[in-house]
Amino acid sequence: MFLDSDLLMSALRALTPILLAALGGALCERAGVFNIGLEGMMLVGCFTAVSTSWFTGSPWLGVLAAALAAAAYSLILAVGAVTLRGDAVVLGVAVNLLAVGLTSFLLRTVFGVQGTFDDPDLAGLPLVGGFSPLTYLAWAAVAVATVLLSRHVWGLRLRGVGEAPDAAATLGVSPVRYKYAAVLVSGVLCGLAGAQLALGNVTLFSENMTAGRGWIAVVAVMLGRALPLGVLLAALLFGLAEAAGFRLQGLGLPQQATDAAPYIVTLAALFLTTARRRGRTTRTTRSSGAAS
Amino acid sequence: MTRRTRSLQLAAVAAGTVLLATGCNAAAKDSADDAGTSGGKSFTLVTPDPVGQNEFLKLAVTGLKSAAKAHDGSQKVYQSSDTASQQQNVQAAVDAKPDVIVLVGFEFADIVAQQAEKNPKQPFLMVDACTTKTFKNVSCAVFREHEGVYLAGAEAGLLSKSGKVGAVDVLDTPQFRRFSDPFAAGAKQVAPKTSTSTRFVGGQSPFDDSARAKEQANSLLSKGYDHLMAAAAAGNYGVFEAAKAKGAYAYGVDVNQCPSAPGTVVDNVIKRTDVAVEKGIEQVLDGKTGTTVSYGLKEGGISLTGLEDGVEDSQCVIAEHKDVLEKVEKLRDQIVSGKLTVDDPAAK
Repeated sequence: MFLDSDLLMSALRALTPILLAALGGALCERAGVFNIGLEGMMLVGCFTAVSTSWFTGSPWLGVLAAALAAAAYSLILAVGAVTLRGDAVVLGVAVNLLAVGLTSFLLRTVFGVQGTFDDPDLAGLPLVGGFSPLTYLAWAAVAVATVLLSRHVWGLRLRGVGEAPDAAATLGVSPVRYKYAAVLVSGVLCGLAGAQLALGNVTLFSENMTAGRGWIAVVAVMLGRALPLGVLLAALLFGLAEAAGFRLQGLGLPQQATDAAPYIVTLAALFLTTARRRGRTTRTTRSSGAAS
Repeated sequence: MTRRTRSLQLAAVAAGTVLLATGCNAAAKDSADDAGTSGGKSFTLVTPDPVGQNEFLKLAVTGLKSAAKAHDGSQKVYQSSDTASQQQNVQAAVDAKPDVIVLVGFEFADIVAQQAEKNPKQPFLMVDACTTKTFKNVSCAVFREHEGVYLAGAEAGLLSKSGKVGAVDVLDTPQFRRFSDPFAAGAKQVAPKTSTSTRFVGGQSPFDDSARAKEQANSLLSKGYDHLMAAAAAGNYGVFEAAKAKGAYAYGVDVNQCPSAPGTVVDNVIKRTDVAVEKGIEQVLDGKTGTTVSYGLKEGGISLTGLEDGVEDSQCVIAEHKDVLEKVEKLRDQIVSGKLTVDDPAAK
C-alpha cells in the first residue's frame, strides 16, 4: 500500500537530476577540484534547455545546448581554480550566485516574463517506458564512470592527479589537462541534469528552479565518497526519502516534519558510515601498534 | 604569497561579476510612466516587480488609472525589480508628495512602516498586505481569498467523478491554508461524501520548485484525486502538468491561469487588485485612513474567472459547465448576503 510502484517512480524521477550532477561532482572530487558550483551549472542547463527547445522546437537540441552551455559556464571554475589557482569554494559560490542572477535576467530579456516561463507549446522530452531517455543515460553514466575510474588508464591518471599532482606531473601526466577535463565533464553532466529537470521532470523554466538539488548532489558526492556507485546509492537514498516524505504527508504527518526527511536520512547515513570508518581506523592503529 | 594574492584577486573578480549581474537587474528600475498632467489629485503606484505580463499588477495599474480619471487627476507608476529599487521607488514617491501612495505586496510592509513614521502627513495605501503596527496615515486593503477558494471547491465537488478532491499548497501555515482548507469545505458543502486531502510543497524553495509540486500532485492523483486546487506559486505549472498527464483537473489562483493548460484548468480564484486600489483610494480621500478593509466576494475584490465577464474566451473548462456555474452563483449570493460564512483558517 505504502511502498507502491508510484512511490518508486516518483523516487526515480527525483533521482535523475541529482544523480547526473553528483556524478560530475564526483569526477571533479577525484581530480582534486572541490566543485560546489553544481547548482549553478544545473540552472544554466535548465534555462538553455528550455530556451533552445522553445526556439528550435526540438527538445533534443535543447539537451545538447544545455550540455554545451553548462560546460562553457563551468570554464569559470576550471580557469579560476586550475589555471589561476583560486579557491574552488569561493568560485563555486560565485558560480551559483551568478547563475541565479544571469538566468533571471535572461528570462526577462529573452522571454519578457518574470518568475516562470511556461507554454503549452514548449516541447519536452518524450517518455520511454515511463521515464525520459536521460534517466537511462544517467544510469549508464554510473557504469561508464565506474569502469573509467577503476579500470581505464584515464581514470588511474585522473585519480593520480587528484591525489598527488606533483607525482603525476613527474610521470608526464598533465594535472592541468585532467582537471580541466573533469570540470568540463561535470559541466556537461550538470547541463544534462538541468535539461532533465526543465524538459523531463517538468516542462518549463522558473527562476531558481533547481531549488537546492545541486547542493544535495554535493552532499551525495561526499556521502558516496566520490565513488560512482556510492554516489548512486546516496542519490537513491535522497530520492526515496523525498518521495516517502510526500506519502507521509498523506498519512497526516505535518509538512514541517516530512520536509526534514531527506536531511534526517543524510545525518543518519553520515553517522553510520563515519562510525564504521572510525571503527576500522582504530582497529588498524591498534593492530599496527601491537606489531611494533 | 603570490598564490594568496591571486586567489584574493580572483575572489574579487568573482564578487564583481556577481554584483554586475545583479546590477543589470537594478538598471531596469524606475520606469515611471506619466499620464495626465491636470491639476487634480495625484496618485503614485509602486510595484514590487516589473508590471510586464503580470496580470495581478496590470490590474492594479488599471485601478489606479480609473481612480485618476474619476478625480480628474494624474497618476504615476514606479516599477521596482529588486529590494533596493523598491526602497528607492518608495523614497522617490514620498519625495513627490502625491495625494495617495499605493503599494502592492507584502514586500513593502517594512519600508512603509519606516516612511509612514517619518512622513506622518503622507497617506499610504497598502494592497494585499499590511504593516504589523497600525499607523494613522496607512490604510490597508486585504483580500478574503478563502471565499473564492470555497467556491472553487464547490465546483470541484460538483464536477469530481471520483468523489476525491485535493489541494497542493505552498506551506503549512494558517495564511496559506486559506487556499486549501476552504477548498475542501466548499466541495463538502455541495457533495458531503467528498473525501479531501492537502499536500504542501515545502522544501528549500517552496515557491519556485515546480518539479516538487508536480510530484506532490502526482501523489494525490495516484490515489484517485481528480480535482486539484493549485496554490503552489510557480509550482502551479507543475501541478497543471501532472493533472494534464493523468486527465485530471486543476484550479488556479490570482489570475486566469487557464491558458497555460487549456482543458485542464477548470477555474481560477482571482484577486481584483483594480477594485481594491480604486475603492481604497476613494476611502483615503474620504478621510478614512489608518484602517484595514478586507475585500471578498461582496466587494467584488475576490471572484472566479467563471463568474466574471468573458468566461467564453477564458479557455477555462468551467465555460462548458453552465449548470455548475449556476449553482456556484447561488452559493456566492448566499455568502454575499451573509447567510453562509466561510471559515478563515488565518483568523485567530
